[in-house]
Amino acid sequence: MTVKDFLRDRFLMMLLHLVCMCLLTVFLRLTGYGMAAAVLILIFWGLILTVWMCAAYVQRRGYFREVEEILEKVDQRYLLGELLPDSVRLEDRLYREIICRSNKSVIERIRQIEETQKEYKEYIESWVHEVKSPITSISLICANGQKKRSERRTSAEVKEAFQTIGLENQRLENYVDMVLYYARSEQVWKDYLIQETDLEGIVYEALEKNKLLMIQNQVRAEVNVKERAYTDRKWIGFILNQMFLNSVKYKGNQPVFHIYTERKKEGVLLILEDNGVGILPEELSRIFEKGFTGSNGRNYGRSTGMGLYLCRKLCDKLGIGLRAESEYGGGTRMILEFPISNYISRNQRAQNLK
Amino acid sequence: MHIFVVEDEPIIRRELKVLLENALYQVTAPDGFSDVLAQIMESRPDLVLLDVNLPGVSGFDICTRIREETEVPVIFLTSRTDSMDELTGILKGGDDYITKPYQAPLLLARIGAVLKRTRGGKYKEATRLTRRGVTLDISGCSLSFQGQCTELTKNEMKLLHILFLHSGEFVSRMDLVEYLWENQIFIDDNTLSVHVARIREKLKNIGVNDLIETKRGMGYRV
Repeated sequence: MTVKDFLRDRFLMMLLHLVCMCLLTVFLRLTGYGMAAAVLILIFWGLILTVWMCAAYVQRRGYFREVEEILEKVDQRYLLGELLPDSVRLEDRLYREIICRSNKSVIERIRQIEETQKEYKEYIESWVHEVKSPITSISLICANGQKKRSERRTSAEVKEAFQTIGLENQRLENYVDMVLYYARSEQVWKDYLIQETDLEGIVYEALEKNKLLMIQNQVRAEVNVKERAYTDRKWIGFILNQMFLNSVKYKGNQPVFHIYTERKKEGVLLILEDNGVGILPEELSRIFEKGFTGSNGRNYGRSTGMGLYLCRKLCDKLGIGLRAESEYGGGTRMILEFPISNYISRNQRAQNLK
Repeated sequence: MHIFVVEDEPIIRRELKVLLENALYQVTAPDGFSDVLAQIMESRPDLVLLDVNLPGVSGFDICTRIREETEVPVIFLTSRTDSMDELTGILKGGDDYITKPYQAPLLLARIGAVLKRTRGGKYKEATRLTRRGVTLDISGCSLSFQGQCTELTKNEMKLLHILFLHSGEFVSRMDLVEYLWENQIFIDDNTLSVHVARIREKLKNIGVNDLIETKRGMGYRV
């Protein structure tokens, strides 16, 4: 609120004063007073008016500054109506009431949407858990169907059919998992268990989980993971799974995966390297964006642009660094960086000293 | 070994039973859960597989009640993937917590691990296998024939181990690779041939010539 704005706002009132001053002068002159008396009265009038205007300006400016300050401090700004400072002016009080009423409906609407969203999320979660039962049944049936080899000679076709169904079932499982993690990604804190984790175990689990797919694709994997990190096992397992699936999807000739760790001063790096088709340099910066499929996604089909986006999102929530390096036609390197907290490393140093 | 399965989904129960029986366990899997505790006490299993979501009762409560009576190992099977649930499971005295959908080899491995831990290695696997005069020393990672001995790498050892266990029958290349993947050796089909060639070379060095038979489209046999 500048002085100019304020004066413009009071223009009508000042005009009224001016007109009154003119009328008074005319009246005084007509009733026979001298010019000096009229000027004196006008000077005092002007003086009083100026002081009054100044006081009003300072008071208004103070009031709005206070409002601005409150607005700065509050994180839910739609609650402003409740927090407006008391004011003697009727206008302020009326506006306050109006804002309150309007905000109330906004708040109600937000609550309503939150409620719907929560219900939706809960339904998705319970749906995911329910759909896992039939997936489990199918996976067990397939496992049993294939295992019969030693007792009864199951024909090769039957075995292959079971294998194919099993593989498709696994894809289904992965898509279902993505839904679950997407629904949960907003509230990671509700569902993690940070503990010292041997990364090797998680890598083995993820590889074994996809063994049929990988064997079918003639994949060879070399694992040299020695470091441990403080993190959540399940989420990392999900992230690794997505990355392995990508590596298989965009594999080159004679695919070889190298999975290894490096210890840096500020953290442990878990590196997944493949010799697949790689990523175009101009697309590299965008692969973690939601819905980004890129030329690879289009050429190799069936890309939703969700996998890596979810990985990035989960990594952000877990405080893990995630980046990709790639040479087009030469392979991709996915790097997960697990930070070592100062507190823990200090404790370890203390223990080592002992 | 006797495993008691508490699972309300009929198909999963049936398939679990088949799977475990194929793995040479004795299995009891009732279809009513009103007096599950009494049934468990009666059949005195070596291990209990317990679903968390059962009609009417919670697996966690059952586990608490089992723990009041006996120390039998309990593995939770559940479709819930919440960390809180996992924690609850462990706090209630469960020995392991496996989330659906589980893969058969993984499930069997975890069951084996729990049994091994709780039974203290009572059921030790044989450390030496002999076929046609050739002895595979599993703990020593070596192969010997008539006094001559040769060292094996881990990969070669695992490969020979499964062939020795199934001696007399052909093991397909696919099954071999799958088995190796389950044992943290992640190789492809070509590498398998390389390994077999190396083993043959080593066998030749100690004077064995035709231990491993190859049959096109069938696989290998010892």
